[in-house]
Amino acid sequence: MRRCFLILAALCSIALLLALCSAQELRVPETSTAGDDATVSSTGSGKGTLYLVGPGISHKSDVDLGEDIHIPGKDLHNAGAYLVIVCSSSCESGTLYVTPAKPYSLAFIVHPSRVPVGRNNSISGVAFPFDQYRNLIRAPATVNFELNAGKESLLSQSDRTQQGAAWFRASSGRSAGTVQVNASVDDISAKRAVQQVASDPCNLRITGGRTKNGIEVQTEPVHDCAGNPVPDGTIVTFTGEGPQGKVTVDAPIKQGIARAQMEAKGEETISVASGVVMGNELRIGAQP
Amino acid sequence: MKRILPIVLVVATAVLMGIALARPGSARGIVGVEAGTPMAGLTPKASSPEQAINNLLGNVQGRHWDLAFEGVSKTSGIDEAAFIQDWKGSDGSLRAFSALEGFEPRPLHITNDAAEMRVHLHWATPVGPMQDVRDIHLVREGDVWRAVWPKVQIPNVPAQVIPVTYLRWDLVSGSSEDHWGSRNVDAPNVRIISMNAVDTAEGAVVMGEVVNEDTIPAFVTVNATLVDAAGNSIDEESSFDKIDHVLLPKQVTPYRVDFPNISLKNVKNVRMDEKASLVPASADPVIGVMNQKLDSDAQGKAVLHGDLFNQSGETVNIPHVIAAFYDGNGKIVWVADGYVDQALLPQSSEPFAVEIPKSMTAKIQNFHVVVNQYSLGRS
Amino acid sequence: MKRIFVSAISAFAINVAAIGAMCAAFTISSYAADTSVQVQMDMSKATPRSMEPLTERAVLRDYRFAWASMAQALESNSIDSLQGPFEGDAMRWLKETVLSQQQSGISQRYRDQSHRVEAVFYSPEGDVLELHDTVQYQLQISDGGKVIHDDPVTLHYVVLLTPGADRWVIRQLQAVQQF
Repeated sequence: MRRCFLILAALCSIALLLALCSAQELRVPETSTAGDDATVSSTGSGKGTLYLVGPGISHKSDVDLGEDIHIPGKDLHNAGAYLVIVCSSSCESGTLYVTPAKPYSLAFIVHPSRVPVGRNNSISGVAFPFDQYRNLIRAPATVNFELNAGKESLLSQSDRTQQGAAWFRASSGRSAGTVQVNASVDDISAKRAVQQVASDPCNLRITGGRTKNGIEVQTEPVHDCAGNPVPDGTIVTFTGEGPQGKVTVDAPIKQGIARAQMEAKGEETISVASGVVMGNELRIGAQP
Repeated sequence: MKRILPIVLVVATAVLMGIALARPGSARGIVGVEAGTPMAGLTPKASSPEQAINNLLGNVQGRHWDLAFEGVSKTSGIDEAAFIQDWKGSDGSLRAFSALEGFEPRPLHITNDAAEMRVHLHWATPVGPMQDVRDIHLVREGDVWRAVWPKVQIPNVPAQVIPVTYLRWDLVSGSSEDHWGSRNVDAPNVRIISMNAVDTAEGAVVMGEVVNEDTIPAFVTVNATLVDAAGNSIDEESSFDKIDHVLLPKQVTPYRVDFPNISLKNVKNVRMDEKASLVPASADPVIGVMNQKLDSDAQGKAVLHGDLFNQSGETVNIPHVIAAFYDGNGKIVWVADGYVDQALLPQSSEPFAVEIPKSMTAKIQNFHVVVNQYSLGRS
Repeated sequence: MKRIFVSAISAFAINVAAIGAMCAAFTISSYAADTSVQVQMDMSKATPRSMEPLTERAVLRDYRFAWASMAQALESNSIDSLQGPFEGDAMRWLKETVLSQQQSGISQRYRDQSHRVEAVFYSPEGDVLELHDTVQYQLQISDGGKVIHDDPVTLHYVVLLTPGADRWVIRQLQAVQQF
């Protein structure tokens, strides 16, 4: 009985000793920079399995316990939280936060891509700095915004990013054409282009007269109120009212002028509109 | 007894299958009838105007063109080819894709030797069922009645070269790499400029007008949601084809959204949603709408009719007319649409008519017509 | 004959019941997968643009759906459910994670997700939304069916969303140590 008890105690001691020898501890660094190598240290002895689970990776490999475990930077390029697990007889884990590297590019979103001239606060943009691995950089950075419409400067301002974003608002210029929009952080820049287009037609005027085919009407060169020519393809609606009924023609502007041909023998009153803008009326006598 | 019946059935089936497989197939006699050949004894003699119409339209329906043309009087000014084209359509028109589903003749006036028959034609078309009404004059020739078919006026457009100088917009999708914000082209800016909701016998109708305020073409759809007092959605519908979907810059189109079998009495709010997307388009063809008049047709229905004139050099296969009607205050009170089942040839015109509900005619003081068009092989 | 008829009817009824049970199980499991994602959203601090109530509801709906889809993708090791709710870099790293899991035999299971979300930036044109999300869930990681990690997790995510054709999509999903 006593001998059995002693043998049992010895066996327990040996088991405990073995357990103590193979137990491991894991030390994971708190943070690392995207793309940089990281080292995880472990205690214990023997073989184990390293699991690295994080944004863009879910990887396992065999490791030797008690030695430093090297994690290459290529596995840590996405910013975020990585769970490092080492398993042998049991599993230990730790969390490593990977933070973004230095600014490398700007995501720059500008709206709208087309804007009528002379509109207040009609152009806006947002810039987000990213590192070379496309991680959003939340550390404050100074973003310079510039808007140039030809020789006219519409905006020049600097802003610190907040929560990783910087933004601007600006009014469109007076002349139709391309506006160059630029955002930059240090020596990194992003360029966008906004088309300034003519506003609604202004002072829409028509002239016309009888021909052998009926009536031909045309607009004077169509401009907006700032004098910018309304783009070709813009629809102008000609409407004629006479004894034979109503006549409507939707004609696109070609080289600044819209033209229409109407079949009408009697006296006609012709009006014109483009979008919600009305023009003058024209009275044309009956066919002789 | 329980087992005998199933066994007998199985054995009989096997035997019959064996017989069928063993014997060579032999189809004797005619299986089917060649189109256009007479079926003796099956078509009654056209001894009355009604029978003559039934024979003629029955053959048209079955596409037995020779037989159908036999029901046309020789005094008509039309030849068989033109008669067939009048029914079959041509130039990729809506008629060319349609089939005559049914017809209802009604006598207007019958004497011993002449008759006027009014026929309601029901067409099955790719855009839904369409109705047409034709008045057909018949004469008695001997002991049979035949239809006098009017000569079909085919536009006589001289051969010519018409340059296309109107603007065209193409869409370029940019490179495959997605840099956020670098490929940004905004959707076109469209705006609903009016909206009116009315109750009709068929249900609620929401209608209005929408304008393309941008400088590029837009593909537009308008959806409407009826909302009750609690803010819950009762129904959501789209304008479908009651809108000119492709809007050029500054172009205005009416739209109509139908809510069948729903009344506005439980509706507290109407939520409008216009969607616009980039689309390649052309400013050609230009279609003039001539001689627009409010009138009554032969059946006494209120219609807006007129003529579409194609001012370009391109055939418009399927013209579609959408008309907005306004009251004295300029408020839109109705939107109607109709398809023209003949193609619109270059430099030629075709008549159109859109029906207006009788209940609306008293309110209408003005109207505006837009022409939508589908041309085969074009975007 | 009567016995055959009765047997045939019974077999048919059993088949119908089996199909019905399968459909119910699928429906229940789908519903359960969706309701295990709880999201509380506070859009009151969105700036410089304020958020319309309809937009707020749409964002909540699409954000919840995105996380449920992500959980499903990581559990089933399939990228199918990622199509739609994700775009850009978020889609890229989720795809890379799933492909990496397929190769290593690892799978992750997110249970009982609870999100406290706050809007911190809403662009002037309403085309970019930045959220701060404190998420808690039970993370279970398995290797070839053997559970190697099963612990509750609390993470802070910076999320960028942009409006897609018919929903808000997550473009950037980045965990940070603190906001």
